[in-house]
Amino acid sequence: MVLPEGFYLDLLMFTFMYAAMSVGWDIMGGYAGYVSLGHVGFFGLGSYAAALLLVHLGLPVFMTAPLVGLMASLLGAGLGFISLRTRGPAFVIVTLTFTYVAQLLMLDLKSVTGGSQGLFLPLLDLPANLVIVPFYYGMLALLVIAILVSIAIRRSKFGLGLIAIREDEGKAEASGVNTSLYKILAFAISVWFAGTAGALHAQYLNYVDPDLAFELIITLNLIIMSLFGSRGIVWGPVLGAFIIYPLSAYLVFLVPSRVAGQVHLAVLGIVLVLVVMFLPDGLIRSYQGWRTKRPKDGRPLEARASIVETAG
Amino acid sequence: MSPGLFAQSLVLGVLTGGMYALMAAGLTLIFGVMKVINVAHAAMIVMGAYLSLTLFRHLGIDPLVSVVLLVPVFLGLGALVQWGVVNRLAERDITLTVLMTFGFAIILEGLQGAIWTSSYQGIKTAYSLESFRLFTLYVPVVRLIAAGVSLVLLAGLYLMLTFTSLGRAIRATIQNRTAAQLVGVNVRLVTTISFAIGIAIAGAAGPLLGMLFTFYPATHWLWIGKLLAIVVLGGLGSLRGAFVAAMLLGIAEQVTSVTIALDWAPMIFYVFLFGVLVVRPQGLFGTVERQSL
Repeated sequence: MVLPEGFYLDLLMFTFMYAAMSVGWDIMGGYAGYVSLGHVGFFGLGSYAAALLLVHLGLPVFMTAPLVGLMASLLGAGLGFISLRTRGPAFVIVTLTFTYVAQLLMLDLKSVTGGSQGLFLPLLDLPANLVIVPFYYGMLALLVIAILVSIAIRRSKFGLGLIAIREDEGKAEASGVNTSLYKILAFAISVWFAGTAGALHAQYLNYVDPDLAFELIITLNLIIMSLFGSRGIVWGPVLGAFIIYPLSAYLVFLVPSRVAGQVHLAVLGIVLVLVVMFLPDGLIRSYQGWRTKRPKDGRPLEARASIVETAG
Repeated sequence: MSPGLFAQSLVLGVLTGGMYALMAAGLTLIFGVMKVINVAHAAMIVMGAYLSLTLFRHLGIDPLVSVVLLVPVFLGLGALVQWGVVNRLAERDITLTVLMTFGFAIILEGLQGAIWTSSYQGIKTAYSLESFRLFTLYVPVVRLIAAGVSLVLLAGLYLMLTFTSLGRAIRATIQNRTAAQLVGVNVRLVTTISFAIGIAIAGAAGPLLGMLFTFYPATHWLWIGKLLAIVVLGGLGSLRGAFVAAMLLGIAEQVTSVTIALDWAPMIFYVFLFGVLVVRPQGLFGTVERQSL
């Protein structure tokens, strides 16, 4: 296989990473209909966990990454236990505040994490021009796993249960779906990808600090990608990532570097608001809808009312 | 911890808690009528702080005067945004509404950074560093002023909600939207007005935040966490609960910063937030959410 060089290799690697995490985000946000505002918290903790395992125990990141993902899943299950037993707004509150708590912990536990100084990871023993290769294939593998897992869930009874929860949680429960367990499990699977990607990313940068590990823009990107491509469809977040990430990376070059980060943030915020307002069903579903010329919002009134009741 | 130190923490906690109560009041009011967490609430407060800072630096307008100036502006903007975009979405899909307020928060953070840079700011007036002694206790003047302004505004809100027909309509909408509609309350209008009032309170809190604390564009993530801890502890949608919880957490924060460490003081909010969600999700004054009518 011939690999594209330099910039494009980087770009592709990051696109794979975002696509994998978006597919993961969508298992919770798309199938079950519970949107997480805190995926970067798991990404950041994954970065730290991998960095600490390498620095203190000498375990290579490419070996520990899947296990770090499992730690993220356990933590996700714990947060899910706190916030997903009821339907109310607890999930939004917990995921929204979790990122900040995680960041604060990494900042305050100075003796272990180095506080705001961060941690340096030993470099991989590879020539400079080849050092990207393992990350490229690592993220590609993560994306393939994400797509396979998403397809498997979509075809299983578990996936049907999640979709039933999205459409009408009350009825799902009444028809025998263990809604709390399903939601907690879905969230645990969902964050595995963020944790694992975070681990690989820490080694890619050879460095981790509280600002870099918990960049809000990561959560924002995942949400936009899933929504833009179409939530609740396997290929939706993948398509979204392959469109949004390159554009987003290009945008950074367009604006003067002094304010690039800030403008980037504002523009992505505007994109999110626009997508929410004008393309909430995403590209794939809108295209399907246009093809079959079904009414714009074909859901029966009952289903709509139930969404208002359950989400929040 | 000595009794003197505890009394001092109590004073500072109550004074700061008064302002926390003001900031949380808008958030809990908006949740009450719309059942939506306004993720952008703290970002709007920080926006108020930045506007007040600019008015103070360039026109010499005192932050307390800008409280009065910002209220109508934020009231109008709140009504416009709610009526123009939020309401249309909220009637279709609550999840998307939350994502929209998340988008607003990020737009505000990015704009603030682009306009005012991401460095730390604070509004330093002539009386910023003044304080006086009350018996053995140290009372900073700005905290006293902020608490006073907050109490006046909260009292106004309380009187409006208790004694006016609009207030009754708002309370009815919070308690049971459908039933309120059945007895002739224009719930859409009431929702727009309540949202606008919530944002106006955020605008009023901005200059106070700017006087008491340093701020930068990303500080709103710290504040939304604190405010959510307050409204969850008080019971989502309950103004009385938010007031009590703000005082409790204001004091808890001061005590933590004295007994443990300043760095760990913000963590006390999250300990309460997660603890309350595990033990008593409806908070102190909340009612268990009814699953259906």
